[in-house]
Amino acid sequence: MLRMEIALFLILAFVACVYFSAGRKSTPLHRTFSVLLVVVLIHLVLDGVTVYTVHHLETVPRSLNDAVHRLFLGSMVLVIYLFYQYIAILVEEETGKPRRLDWPARIFLAVAELGNFLLPISYMVTAEGNYSSGPYMLVPHGGVAFYLLLCAGLLVANRRRIDQKKKLAIGAALLIEVTVCTVQWLNHTWLISGMGITLMTLSFYLTLENPDILRAELTEQKMSMLYLKSQVNPHFLYNTLDTIRIQAQLDGDKKVADLLMRLVDFFRLSVKADRQMVALDDELELLEAYMELMCYRYPELQCEYDIDPDLGGIQVPNFILQPIVENSLLHGLKNKGYRGVVRISARKTADHRMEILVCDTGSGFAEGKKSAIDQMLLTYAKQPAKLEGNSIGILNVQKRIKLLCGREYGLSYTENPTGGVTAHLLLPMNGGNVT
Amino acid sequence: MKKLRVVLVDDEIMIREGFKRLFDWQAHDCEVVGEAADGMEALAQIDALRPDIVIMDINIPIMNGLKVIQLSRMKHPDTAFVIVSGYDDFSYCREALRLQITDYILKPVNYEEFGTCIDNLKISLFERRVSVEAEQAQQEERAITGITRYLQQHLAEDMSLTVLAEVFHLSPQYISQLFKNEIGVGFLAYLTNIRMETAKKLLLATSLSIAEVAEQSGYGDYRVFTKVFKKAEGITPSQYRRDFLEETGKTGA
Repeated sequence: MLRMEIALFLILAFVACVYFSAGRKSTPLHRTFSVLLVVVLIHLVLDGVTVYTVHHLETVPRSLNDAVHRLFLGSMVLVIYLFYQYIAILVEEETGKPRRLDWPARIFLAVAELGNFLLPISYMVTAEGNYSSGPYMLVPHGGVAFYLLLCAGLLVANRRRIDQKKKLAIGAALLIEVTVCTVQWLNHTWLISGMGITLMTLSFYLTLENPDILRAELTEQKMSMLYLKSQVNPHFLYNTLDTIRIQAQLDGDKKVADLLMRLVDFFRLSVKADRQMVALDDELELLEAYMELMCYRYPELQCEYDIDPDLGGIQVPNFILQPIVENSLLHGLKNKGYRGVVRISARKTADHRMEILVCDTGSGFAEGKKSAIDQMLLTYAKQPAKLEGNSIGILNVQKRIKLLCGREYGLSYTENPTGGVTAHLLLPMNGGNVT
Repeated sequence: MKKLRVVLVDDEIMIREGFKRLFDWQAHDCEVVGEAADGMEALAQIDALRPDIVIMDINIPIMNGLKVIQLSRMKHPDTAFVIVSGYDDFSYCREALRLQITDYILKPVNYEEFGTCIDNLKISLFERRVSVEAEQAQQEERAITGITRYLQQHLAEDMSLTVLAEVFHLSPQYISQLFKNEIGVGFLAYLTNIRMETAKKLLLATSLSIAEVAEQSGYGDYRVFTKVFKKAEGITPSQYRRDFLEETGKTGA
């Protein structure tokens, strides 16, 4: 007799497991669905219990039978109320219009629950099976009718403003519930209200609440945060810095004014990063601004340049030197208290290519680090695209050089005999295959 | 030489203060006679004060700087306009060049180097005077006109006050003074300016290599040329050429 109730419970318990173990955004909609899942599970347990007790009228005491029946129908009205609430929030999210029927819905819920526990209850015994009846049955009938009408009203009133997929989800759920209720009404002994509720929950789970959708929402949220971060207007930043610089100079603080000028230069140059290829001179200008600021912060840090002036106009991928030098500082010279030298040199090689060397006197590679980095740079194509992390800078440089200049060019590292490491950037003289 | 009268237009008071107090106007024979914070005020100030030079921010309230220039140009054809622009409205600068703006500088303004800009203005004011004089076919040619024409013609050669002194049978000191008095800038500043102007023309109008352009504009060593050019224009010669070609490519000109 209890086969269907047990099956429904197991299905929804499984759905609840999947749902609660998946990460999701904390929105009113998802919170409502979580509550709904829990209440539906409780309701299904009560459903099973009442189906058992109503068929054992002679063995189960009348008072116990009354109590579980009232609890069962009380939870059913609560479930239907939660469905209404869920759909109302969904419609609100879609249309942007605030919910207006929350209070009538809650008052109705209170009245229905009150009626449910006070109205007299009786039992019908038939050849096909037993069922409860009497005035208290007004509660489930009235509740289902009231909330389903509210839902249908919401759907019809906002049909133009709701996304097609969500409209279908709501419509299907309502249709299922109406069908099941009609069948139940025609066949009192079928006792299939639990099935209707389970199917309704499932239809929302499958269309709007499944883990794929939850994950997509989370990713979208993360991406939009990153996007926002990258959208902080750089012009605002450097215009403000420039105002501060002028104030400093007006106050006679030439040193601060000069530093701010370099900082403004750095931002201005890095904002130009919308171009794929830039002249080596531009790249060096950005690097100089960066290094001057770093050298000011760490007075024992030195930077030397040895650039073949003929190479100044050569096109190189944008923003490749600063990440390499930053890497040298953070992983090499930082360990020596920023005491040491970074030497940047650019020269023509015998086979008519350009080699840029970034040589530091830092602490060198840690045990095993060299081979790990070699391996990473060698298998650059297989490395997943990372948004953050340790070697993101140099991996990114490697990928862009290979992409923009060709596979025969790129980045590699060697250890200096006197300590520290040297980054070798091999680049074409004609800008490579992308112009 | 009479003092040049300057009007500053920028909506940020700090930028105007910076211009006013951090640049030595006195030493460059200029004085700031007025300020404006928006387009309407700028128009009124230019009409009332008839300045020689207007330092103009583009992105100002009510009416943008280019519109102000367009409207003032007709009434005050002799006023020189210097556009000051952030990189965010760099595209306006191209338009500014088409509007025959005398000069433009980019924010952040380096006040120490702003003198070069004023020198350039003085030279262009001088050249305009010379061409007006030539049109009116005035009596006798002045010494400075001869010297500057000689410089234009012998740009590619080694040039110095001593060379000029020999050619014109005048003392180097006298010629130096002549430049200061007649144009308002030193001999070297003038020479660099006309060399740069020539270089820019060559870069855009010919396909000569950078080294050849350097040589024709009087720089034997093209690395020196690149350095001087970068200091004057803010970008390298090859970038200058590329930027311009890109721009004309875009507009379909």
